[in-house]
Amino acid sequence: MRKRLPNLVALFCALLWGFAAIAQTTVTGKVISPKGDPLSNVNVQLKGSNVGTTTVEDGSFSLNLPAGNNRTLIFTLVGYLSQTALVGAQTSDLSIELKEDISNLEQVVVTGLATKIKRGNLANAVTSINAKELTGTTQIQTADGALYGKISGANIRQNGGAPGGGLSIQLRGISTIQGSNANPLIIIDGVYANNDFQRTGRATLTQAGGANQDDGSNRLSDINPAEIENIEVLKGPSAAAIYGTRANNGVIIITTKKGVTGKTKISFNQDFGFGDPLRLLGTDDWTVEKINFFFPAARRQQEIDRLNAAKANGTITDFEKLFYDNKATLSNTRLSISGGNEKTKFFMNGTITNEDGIVRRTGFERYSVRANLDHRISKNLTIGINSNYLRTNTDRGFTGNQNNTGASIGYNTAYIPNYFNIKPDPATGRYPDVDYGGPRENPLAVTDKATNNSQVNRFIMAANLDWKILETQKSTLRAVLNGGVDYVQNTTLVHMPEDLQFQRGQANPGDVLHGKTEATNTNFQAALVFNTNVKDIELTTQAGLVRLDFENNSLFARGRGLAPGQTNIRQATVQSIEEQFFSKVSEAGVFVQQEANWQDKIIGTVGIRWDKSTNNGDYEKYYAFPKASLAVNLVKLGLFENSKVVTTLKPRIAYGEAAGPVLFGTTFTSLGSTNIGGLLGSGPSTFVGNTAIEPESANELEFGLDAGFFKNRLQIEATYYIKKTQNNLQSLVLSPASGFSNTTSNEAELENKGIELALSGVILQKKNLRWFSRLMWWKNDVITTYLGVPAYNTGAFGTALGTFAIRQGISPLTIVGTPATTTGINGFTVWGLNQPDFTTSWYNTLNLPGNFEFSFLMEYRKGGDNINLTSFLNDGGGTTNGWFNDDNKDGVPNGRQRPPAPYNNAARWVQDATFFKLREAGLYYNLPIDLTRKWFKGVVEKIRLGASGNNIFLVTDYEGYDPETSTFGATPLANNVDIAPYPTTRRIFFHLGIDF
Amino acid sequence: MIKNTFLSVIIAGGLMSGMTACNPLNTDPVLDPNNPSVGSVTNNASRAQIQFLVTGLEARHRGYVFTATAGFGTFGRELWYLNASDPRWQTDWLGQNGRLPDASYFGFGASGGSVYAGAYQTIRQALVLRDAANNTNALSANEKKAVSGLAKTIAAYQFLLPAIWRFDSIRVDVEDPLKPGPYVPYQDALAYISNLLNDAMADLNAAGTGIFPLTLTAGWAGFNTIDGIKLVNRAIAARTFLYRGQWQDALTAANASFMNLTGNLGAGPTHVFGAPPDAFNPLFFVRDANVSTMIVVHPSVLRDTTPNDARVRAKFYRRISPVTVSSDAGSLSGQYQDNRWVANTSAVPWFKNEELILIKAEAHANLNQATDAVNAINIIRTAAGIGNYGGATTQAALINEILYQRRYSLWAEPWGHRWIDVRRYNRINEIDVSFDGGTRFLRFPKPQSDVNWDIYIGG
Repeated sequence: MRKRLPNLVALFCALLWGFAAIAQTTVTGKVISPKGDPLSNVNVQLKGSNVGTTTVEDGSFSLNLPAGNNRTLIFTLVGYLSQTALVGAQTSDLSIELKEDISNLEQVVVTGLATKIKRGNLANAVTSINAKELTGTTQIQTADGALYGKISGANIRQNGGAPGGGLSIQLRGISTIQGSNANPLIIIDGVYANNDFQRTGRATLTQAGGANQDDGSNRLSDINPAEIENIEVLKGPSAAAIYGTRANNGVIIITTKKGVTGKTKISFNQDFGFGDPLRLLGTDDWTVEKINFFFPAARRQQEIDRLNAAKANGTITDFEKLFYDNKATLSNTRLSISGGNEKTKFFMNGTITNEDGIVRRTGFERYSVRANLDHRISKNLTIGINSNYLRTNTDRGFTGNQNNTGASIGYNTAYIPNYFNIKPDPATGRYPDVDYGGPRENPLAVTDKATNNSQVNRFIMAANLDWKILETQKSTLRAVLNGGVDYVQNTTLVHMPEDLQFQRGQANPGDVLHGKTEATNTNFQAALVFNTNVKDIELTTQAGLVRLDFENNSLFARGRGLAPGQTNIRQATVQSIEEQFFSKVSEAGVFVQQEANWQDKIIGTVGIRWDKSTNNGDYEKYYAFPKASLAVNLVKLGLFENSKVVTTLKPRIAYGEAAGPVLFGTTFTSLGSTNIGGLLGSGPSTFVGNTAIEPESANELEFGLDAGFFKNRLQIEATYYIKKTQNNLQSLVLSPASGFSNTTSNEAELENKGIELALSGVILQKKNLRWFSRLMWWKNDVITTYLGVPAYNTGAFGTALGTFAIRQGISPLTIVGTPATTTGINGFTVWGLNQPDFTTSWYNTLNLPGNFEFSFLMEYRKGGDNINLTSFLNDGGGTTNGWFNDDNKDGVPNGRQRPPAPYNNAARWVQDATFFKLREAGLYYNLPIDLTRKWFKGVVEKIRLGASGNNIFLVTDYEGYDPETSTFGATPLANNVDIAPYPTTRRIFFHLGIDF
Repeated sequence: MIKNTFLSVIIAGGLMSGMTACNPLNTDPVLDPNNPSVGSVTNNASRAQIQFLVTGLEARHRGYVFTATAGFGTFGRELWYLNASDPRWQTDWLGQNGRLPDASYFGFGASGGSVYAGAYQTIRQALVLRDAANNTNALSANEKKAVSGLAKTIAAYQFLLPAIWRFDSIRVDVEDPLKPGPYVPYQDALAYISNLLNDAMADLNAAGTGIFPLTLTAGWAGFNTIDGIKLVNRAIAARTFLYRGQWQDALTAANASFMNLTGNLGAGPTHVFGAPPDAFNPLFFVRDANVSTMIVVHPSVLRDTTPNDARVRAKFYRRISPVTVSSDAGSLSGQYQDNRWVANTSAVPWFKNEELILIKAEAHANLNQATDAVNAINIIRTAAGIGNYGGATTQAALINEILYQRRYSLWAEPWGHRWIDVRRYNRINEIDVSFDGGTRFLRFPKPQSDVNWDIYIGG
């Protein structure tokens, strides 16, 4: 019974039981693993009561039992199958062996706001990723990067391979067309965590465009993946409804590590490795013939002279190698101390990550200090505090889009022939000026001299209080309070020194942009949880309220015309405020949830949450988000009761609703400010506020079947879902003659349908040999089911280069482009779809004889098209590998004649992004404990050595560095645009771990 | 145990009621922390607020400068806007490979960009200013008329932009943003603009005399009185009548404007620019800058110059090395850059005395007043240092001469004079596309957003 409460609470009630001492007997014993090792922290409980204890370090326990007839003890421990034992005549020296829970069915999963549920009783396909799966194979820079291939139904994209992350995650397709982003809500230890792509200003100085082309990191990248115990992924509204507003893209619940009772454990880990580019494409060589073809007549002789000189001097340079093929050193150092006693448990960790990028002067540093404390004040009251200070320092360099400034390696080198010497004159140190058809800038000078830095200081604090108000033999009433704060301060610096070629051509050479962004999220939640048993049915009722506040402010100041070598804005000729922006959002909600569990046979849940937000048109209006779910364990009901084959068979169905927030400011019709001739002016903004705007809403029906075979050694999880969205935020473009540009409406609806399959099992289980394998397969289809505004094309760079068609009845991920046609969609030809046909991943972990562990993860994605504008640039500059070849022998080189005929339309850049990746592999060796104890005289407990890799290899026909790239960051639609990104890094590590 | 439980309930109850005292479910409405609202000026705006709206109107009023110069200038082949980072500045603006303007053409987008959406936004600003001035007690009756007169004058000027860009019907009734009026034919739109200017004159005539009651920027130096604004109003009226072919009215309006046959040809109101928080002059490029973005003089303008034309020497700067860009439609190269701007803070004139004299010349020529026309032409020629006109004095010859002089006197003004001139006279074929293999653009279709609005309302 108790197992449905959070472990911690169960543990403490168990520990403190004892005052109801009537006629008691004392039971003692020991709990061991199949290998015979003692198991500590095993929960020992008298069935149908609150009587219980936990085992200590040597696996032993002692429990006073009240008199009674039915005295069954239940032994539970995370990662093991629970075991029952009837207490008969023998009351001392019981020996209990717990078997490992290979199926994870016993694992508890957070689904409600104040309760958890056993995985075996879930009605949703909730993905849980433990620390071993997350970071056990290899060291991954960011927590979201460690999720690749581990969540069925997820589509994860990175801006590029620049150090410090920059990832977006879409779960079960998209729930918005024009919402701020399509990313899930991130909860860390109960704190609503900031995962913004904060502005850095790179795109302002490189003139790439808006902040969505800054190629900044998302703030989840601050989080240290090594401190994560577990990640649970509620993929859609049916599972996430109780989170209400902000949950329509799903919820990712991150739980950090905690201390456990027992001996204080000190762990030291050092990873050391190097990175090199996963894939390079090569560039085209030049000949006199090609020069004569490519350059205008007046220019040819000069180019031929340059080519000949370069050949004579041996200065022909492979720019890809020069810029990207640098060995990056990667280092991670972690020291953690954890332990505790019956009253207090703690986990402390310090991590230093120092990882260079493969482009010089780029890199990522992270310093993380964490202290997680749990303390029992009295038998009924426990508190916990999780605190984390983070500092990250990221230099991402200059890649991606730009305009004229040349501040992007790939964009710039696309136009420079490999015989042109960009290296500085050894005598003067001057970088040669570039005078080709692309940007007029020396990309080597930018790499050597310019800065694109972001420094984050961040505190995440969570506090929780669990108070057992009432307790009887059958019922408990608890109050669960928790709250937290996430404070992020991001200091950014983008600097283009005055002596760069482009800067010298400006009226005020030298450009610097300093930014400060401060974001504070606070949240508070209070819930009452009542747990009781009515006959055989366990009922859990929870009710509570939630309060969230989000505050942001930013200040960006710019200086142009800098004193030589200076970056202080006071050293600038022109000093300006580029941006100052404040935002504040308050949200409040109330929730009620009722769970009923009939002996783990039939488990039903109904719940509802009401939310309001100051961003909505009516800030006082509560929106309701109901949910209901049902899971039926057929085997427990008697079906296949004696089957040796079928051991679990659980059909399940769940329905839920959730919402996506209205953007801050949607209700405002502002008088903007403008300055002219020394005067301040104001004028109506072109955006008309909509004071009737409603949040986006999504409902999802999910059903599936979980089945286990051969004592659950083989498991199948199959899920089908239909997710429908309403009131999607949709810009209503007004007549330009109105003098306004647009307002926001709720005039769009989407429908996602998808399948998620997982097959997992222990393929081999022998003494010293165990092979666990999991195969996942998923797909999602989305269409625009309603569009109340005229059909339109949006995203990327217009129809000539491929854009997205928004139109009722077709997928919003449809890529259309030139040539214009009346038979296509929205007036243009359909060229592709930014949606994979399916994705499949395969995870394996093998325990091999001789204390070796080997694991690997691979992923294959079929279909889905990218808009590859890197190819567009390289073709424009004549530098694409094979540009001057002539496959169809018609005298026009390939680079001027990309199929399909008539060779002049958007289809050239819409490319299939099918790929196969070996994402992770790791081999570890644990020194035998006897040996380490002997060698180090008992000081050292365990030594672990390993080697691993991340992004080990990639197979694809796609003509880019990485098929999973997104120049626009976390945008819902156009997250497939490839513009000269930072190449993805292959990372190889060596590991040393020592436990004291 | 019972006692403990009882105590717990009491404490729990206490806590819960404590929570209701500072109710976490209470949220305060969030007002825009960054800007005042439009609603704040609708009624009883303060004088300062009216002042901010006047200045805001001046700021919006200059929004078209870059596109009307670089875009219209490209269409009229006065210049090329070379931009290596995006070949569409060449391929699309020049109409290379047979490209023709569509409803969301590059550089204008679905909204029509700064010469369409931007112009109407300026008109909206003028309407908001007019209404704010009318609905406040902070201004006297005279002052209200002065503000209204200025607002209508600027609005009229801005209406001309979509009209000449489209060279076709536009919307003129834009009082209700959610119910914009129908498209009216080009000539009717011009007639509407003439009427709006007359309306503005009536307001200004009722506004008393003296300095304009609110502060204007230095761009109005010499014109910042009620009378000065009237002179500018009549200049715009002269241009509008000229486009309508109402030669006598054009002449009358020019005479009532700041036209000065013996004065500085460059005199006139300007758009001021400056360092932040102001905006830089968007037409300024550093001399000889080794960059790949540059407005360069079109080869046909260079080819057709009259020897020793002072305008050529003043306006064009010969670069040490040309700017060259290439696209899949070939390479373009420019040796001369715009020499008119001393600095990136230089003001851009938007109506010059020189144009008024040319309007006078053109009106006389069309009215078959050859002598008056030649006299006006000679003022321009003398200033340019190319001597008096010695050609034929037939109407056709004079008009040829006037249109030629307009190419150099008004080169790359933020209006695209050449482009509208060839279309006014049905001479689009005079545009020389031989250097770039492009297409001549006669008119632009309705912007997609406006088409969509009619669909949305109709559907």
